[in-house]
Parts: sequence; structure tokens; C-alpha cells
Amino acid sequence: MSILYLLIPLALILLAGAVWAFFWAVGNGQFDDLDTPAVRVIMDDDERPPDDETR
Amino acid sequence: MAKAETCFHCALPIPANCDIRVDIGGETRPVCCPGCKAVATLIRDAGFERYYDSRERPEPGAVRPAQDAGEWQVFDREDMLAAFATRDDNAAAATVYVGGMYCAACSWLIDASLKKLPGIASADINPVTHRLRVEWDTESIGLGRILATLADLGYKPQPLAPDSTERPERAEQRTALKRLLVASLGMMQAMMFAVGLYSGEFQGIDADMERFLRLVSFFVTTPVVFYSARPFFAGAIRGLRARRPGMDVPVSIAIGGAYVASVYSTFTNGPAVWYDSVTMFVFFLTVARYLEMRARHRSVDRSAALASLLPNTATRLDGDTRTQVPVTQLAAGDIAMVRAGESFPADGSITAGRTSVDESMLTGESKPQQKSEGDAVVAGSVNLDGVVEMRVDVTGTDTTLGTIGRLSERARYARPAFVQLADRVASYIVVAILVLAAAVATSWYLIDPERAFVITLSVLVVTCPCALALATPTAFAAAGSRLSDLHLLVTNGNAIETLSRATHIVFDKTGTLTRGMPEVVATVTHDPDLSEQDCLQIAAALEVASTHPIARAFTRHESAITATGIEIRVGAGVEGVIDGRRWKLGNAAFVPGAAPAPPDDSATPVFLGTDGRVAATFTIADTLREDAGKTLKQLKKMGFSVSVVSGDGAAPVAQAAASLDIDDARSSCTPDDKLARISALQQQGEVVVMVGDGINDAPVLAGADVSIAPSHAASLAQSSADVLMLGDSLQPIVTLMHSARRTMRIVRQNLAWAIVYNVSAVPLAAAGFVPPWLAAIGMSTSSLVVVLNALRLSRIR
Repeated sequence: MSILYLLIPLALILLAGAVWAFFWAVGNGQFDDLDTPAVRVIMDDDERPPDDETR
Repeated sequence: MAKAETCFHCALPIPANCDIRVDIGGETRPVCCPGCKAVATLIRDAGFERYYDSRERPEPGAVRPAQDAGEWQVFDREDMLAAFATRDDNAAAATVYVGGMYCAACSWLIDASLKKLPGIASADINPVTHRLRVEWDTESIGLGRILATLADLGYKPQPLAPDSTERPERAEQRTALKRLLVASLGMMQAMMFAVGLYSGEFQGIDADMERFLRLVSFFVTTPVVFYSARPFFAGAIRGLRARRPGMDVPVSIAIGGAYVASVYSTFTNGPAVWYDSVTMFVFFLTVARYLEMRARHRSVDRSAALASLLPNTATRLDGDTRTQVPVTQLAAGDIAMVRAGESFPADGSITAGRTSVDESMLTGESKPQQKSEGDAVVAGSVNLDGVVEMRVDVTGTDTTLGTIGRLSERARYARPAFVQLADRVASYIVVAILVLAAAVATSWYLIDPERAFVITLSVLVVTCPCALALATPTAFAAAGSRLSDLHLLVTNGNAIETLSRATHIVFDKTGTLTRGMPEVVATVTHDPDLSEQDCLQIAAALEVASTHPIARAFTRHESAITATGIEIRVGAGVEGVIDGRRWKLGNAAFVPGAAPAPPDDSATPVFLGTDGRVAATFTIADTLREDAGKTLKQLKKMGFSVSVVSGDGAAPVAQAAASLDIDDARSSCTPDDKLARISALQQQGEVVVMVGDGINDAPVLAGADVSIAPSHAASLAQSSADVLMLGDSLQPIVTLMHSARRTMRIVRQNLAWAIVYNVSAVPLAAAGFVPPWLAAIGMSTSSLVVVLNALRLSRIR
């Protein structure tokens, strides 16, 4: 069972990493609008490259 | 096109005799007016047809094309930029309130259209607050072009001064989200280690390993207590300072006490730790708070709503020179010029010119008012047909418009007697819990000091008013999200409770029971050579340049004819030349040969004449909504009394009341009269629901027990309303009333369950039969029952 003395601190470090990543995402505005991105992904599916202005 | 026809673009009903079509996505679609055709064509030609596939059902009229484009160049000027944007060399940024957007597809369309423009660095649009944050390069594009692009798509852009941004709410939302995440991760971790510790109790565990697991639990619980639970401690301190202890006090004592005892136990190898109970407790409470906050933020931003009625800019006259200035730079004593179709930028009086003014948003009077030199005008009302100069007396928040805004704000804050009662009751419960806990602690201290702390903790956790606290908000949240699927937006948490007790429903007439837009209801031709269709086409051609509300009744019919030399005669009508013949369209005094009709407030006759005789007579009236009769009948059947108060004249109100079978109808009411009428009803013990849409209704809406506004309502009325109805129908009111009653039934079941649970669990806990972990599980199970029961509401039809 002594492996736990290694694994649990490791898990806590991962946890701290996850919290940090989430805080960064919130601060970056990733969670400010939860409605538009869901639709945007469908709509942008057949978007042409930006330099193609012929359509 | 077999279905009932509504405009493909803006979803308003298509007027009779109107046949305008546009090709979208390989099909021919009907639209309601040339403006919508132009916007739909623009969207198609820009390659954004997908907008129509993925948008939600539009609120009718939300994306109506703007009446006046072309005013936007002024925003390219340096002083405008200084007033509305922050800049850093060539990089400028501004916040724009985008009126008329209603779903995610709108924000996609705006985003995609702006990104096609050169020089746009970024465009972030928030579909909830309707705010666009745009950054651009001043070398390649100006703010005017950006705003014009939005206006061309049919939205109503409104640049906001840099200080009125949404920062506080966004910061609150972000912090709450972080607190929730820390609490949930902390809870999961603490639970995991707690399982280890509990199995250790039964199967035996190394003393070292037990100490280690306790230490690890301490590390994951500490941020939960000091970060996630901070609002509870702050609330408890606030409550104690104000001598009105709320739920936060026992919550804080339980969290703080259990945490401190656990820490002590951890470092002294004491008998037990309660980290799992602490984190679970904090997590459940944080979830409830978060849901409540989300609902609160849904309500409409009032300051922006008020500002959106005023024009962005005004034309100031300094002697003979005209300058376009931001409306915020107008000061008392300035002379401003207001053209036809513009709104007045401030309160003041007319110094030159003559015009008719649409004050319906402020007074509810649907007919335009004639104004000439010396007459007072109010900010936000619309100058319909003449060019006038005005002296500015009062600006900004001191105007009538600003005052109405403040009035409704005050009425809104003065209201919640129900909330105050709930707070008072809560503080009694809290005191009772504290007294009980103290009594338990003392008795056990005398009986068995070793168990005193554990049992007191169990009592505090078991009596946690968690299920009690969740009972109402979860039911409201479930009902609210279901209702928003049914196109009803509940913006005030108390609205549902009050709706379930409502006894009396008061309707405004114009725009609520009626459509609020004049329509041609009858056409009589006096010339055998002309069909009704011909006459309507001629009238539409003549009215094409006019902004008068009556003109809109005609211009919704597309006309293949063009008129030349159109002249608008203020307060009389229009005239113009078609195929060499001179036509006149207007009132009886203006069109020669027209017989003056007997005065009738409910319908306006409009005459079309040529060569000194009358060719046709149109009757223009505001028609009742199709489902008004059916809805009112259903509401009466549910036991509501129904009445009408209107700012309109006696005849139209009486006529509407008669055809809808309403006995109690009042006409020519000022906002004060309406408010007085509602207070009178309230004093008779009635719980009053007000349904209305005008600015003038805003104080009334706020004064009523609950208020409902249709989605096309003036922004200020919307922001005063507790419930917004999307869609062009009154039928949702019936659904709303049914679901309000059903929601309160669920809330009562929830409260009953929570009370039964607490009452039966407290004696057991006080007697020492419930260890803290079982108390925490009991507490969460009872909360879960409450939440699941509430979720049944999401199946309302």
C-alpha cells in the first residue's frame, strides 16, 4: 500500500493542474458565452479558406 | 406555401394583398416588405444563408430592417471616436449594444459579417447581454462602417460610452464558476479519501496511512472552506452586523466548526475528521447559489435599454453651422435640429417648424400629436414628418424618459414584501437551530463530554436547511428553463410564486390585445377603372418616403409603381405624380372632394384622390390579435378577473372591450391613472398581473404584483417586466398561469418533504444515533429527492 504515498500526491498535483487550467479558461472568457459555440461549430463546417472570395 | 404566411425574415404576419418573394436556399420564400427582402438578399449574397437554417424561431419583428440607414458616417469622426471608443494609436475598441438579436445564430451572423470587413481585430458578442465588444484598426475602417454593417443586417446598434460596460456581472459570474469548480473537485477528492478512512474504521488501517489520508483531506478541503465557502462567511458576518441573521449563520458555524475540529483532530490524532461532510455541504450550497445567480443575470440590463430609445447623435445648431454631436454632449440651452424620422434627443420646446410627433411609447396615445412653435417635446418621442428646431431644456437622466426609468426602478425595489417575510422567517429558523444546537451541546456535555461535539455537529448538518433552501429555487429553475423553451422568459424569481396566487389580470390595449401597428382593414374604390390592388399600389408608391405610422400600413405592400415629385404635407398627407397624373393621399381636408367622416377614434379614414375627386377610401385601424378572444376566454375559465386599462381614447377601447367581452375597461389613462387603478385593485385584496408593452406602462408593470411584456415591447417595459413573452401570440399567458400553479404545487411538496425530513431527523441526531457522515448523506439524499421532484417540471406542456 505504500505506493499510495506516491500516487496520492501525484493525483493532487494533477488536480492542482486541472484547477489552474480551469481558472485560466474562465479568466480567458471561455465560459462567458455557452450558447454560440455550440451552433458555430455546425455552421463553420463548410467555410472556405479566407482568401477564397469567389463564392 | 400552404401554411399561415409569416415573413421568412422577420416573422411578422404578411399583410393581405402583399406578394414579395425572395429566393433563399433554392426555395422561394415570402417576406413582408421590401426592407426585409433587401436584408434577406444581403444575407444570401454574402454567403450567410446558413443563418436561416440554424436560428431559432425569431421573435416577430426583432430583425426588422432599420428605417434610417446612412446616419452612421458621423461615427467615423474623431470626436465621436473619443466619446464611444478607447484607443491606443491605431487600435480602437468599443462596446456596442445590439438591439434585435435573439439567438445564437444572430451572434454567428454578426460575428461572421464583421470578420469579412477589413481591419477588424476582434469581435466578441454576448448573446445574453446583447453586447458586442469590437476592436479595429482605425487606419482601415471606421466605427461608422461597422455600425452601418450591423444596421444593414436589420439590427439596431447602439454604441455605449466606455464606462457602461458589463464588468461587475461578468466578474461575479466568473468568480461563482471558479468557486463551484473548486468546491466540486474538492468534494470528490475528499469523498474518495473518506471512503478509505471509513473502510479503515471497519477493516483496520495503519496509523500512518490514516494520518496521511487525513492530511491529504486537509489539503483538498482547505481551499474549499477558504475559497468556495467565503460568500457564506461574508454573508453571515453581514447578517449579524445587520442584526438579521440569515441561513448563512448556522451554515458558517457548521462549516467553520467542523473544519476547525477536523484540523485539530488531524494534527493531534483525534478520534475523527469530518472533511467529507464539510466539502459536501459547501458543494451543495454553492450549486444552489450558482443556479440562483444565473437566473438573476438573465434579467435585462436597464441602463442600456433606456439609452436605446434616444438617438445616438443630435444635430446642434450654432448660429448657422450644424454640427453632429453625440447626444451626451448636448447641454441645456442648445438649439438642436430634428429631421423627420428622428427621435428627439432631449426634453425641450420647439423654436421653429411644425410637425406631428409620435409619443405613443411614452403616453400610450396611439395617434400622432401636432406640435408647433412653443410646444413641449420629450426625449425619445419620434418626429414624424416635419423638420423642427428645438431648444434643449433637460438632458440625460433628468428627462421624462429618465424619470420614468427611475420610477419603475424604485417601484421594483420597493416591492418584494414576500421576500422580506421569507427573510424574517428564515432568521427565526436560524435562531431556533442555534438554540437547539446549544441545548444539545450543553446536555451532551453533561452526559458525555467526549461525544458532545460530534453530536452537535450532526445536529447542525441534519438541520441544515439545505433541502429547504433548494426546494424553491430548483423548482423555479426547472420551471423557468422549461418555460423558456415555450418562449416565455421569467426574469424575476418571485414571479412564479406570485402568478400562482394571481386573481386579476389587467391588459393594456395597444400593442398587447391589438397588434400595435396600423393596418389597412378596408379599401373602397370609387373609380370603376381601379381595382383595390391598384389603389393600394398607388398609395404605397406615394408613401414610400414617409415615416408616419400610417404610411407603414401602406408601405408593407410592395409597389411596382414609382411616384415622382413626392411632397410630404405636415399633418395632412402626401402628394406625388404617377404616370403624369397628380395623386393626393391624406385626410379629408387635404384631398379635394372627400366627405369628412364622423369622428371615430378607433379607425382612421385615409383618402386617395386625383383630378379633384376621390378615387378610393382606405380604413386604417389597429386590429385585435387573432388569439385575443380565445386566450381571454380561457383565462376567465381559470377563474381570473380580466380588465383593460389603456391610454387610448374611449371609442377604440370600448370597441375592443365589447368584442372581447370585457366589462371593466378604462380609457384615456395616464401612467399615474393606471398605477392608481392597480393600487386600488390591490387594496381590495386582488393579486394583480399586468400585461403591457409601452414605456408608459413601465411604472405600472413594476407596480403590479407580476408583470408580463410581449417581446416587441419597448425595452424599458421589457426591463420592468417579470416575464417576457416571445412570439406574436397571447396564448403563452395561459400556459404561464397553468405552469405557475403547477410549480407552486411542486414547491409545496418539496417544502413538506424537507420539513418532514428535518423534523424526524433532528431528534435522532440529538439523541446521538446519527454520526456526521450519515447526517451528510441524509442531507444530500433529501436534497436529491427535492431536486428530482423539481425536475418533473421540465415536462410541462
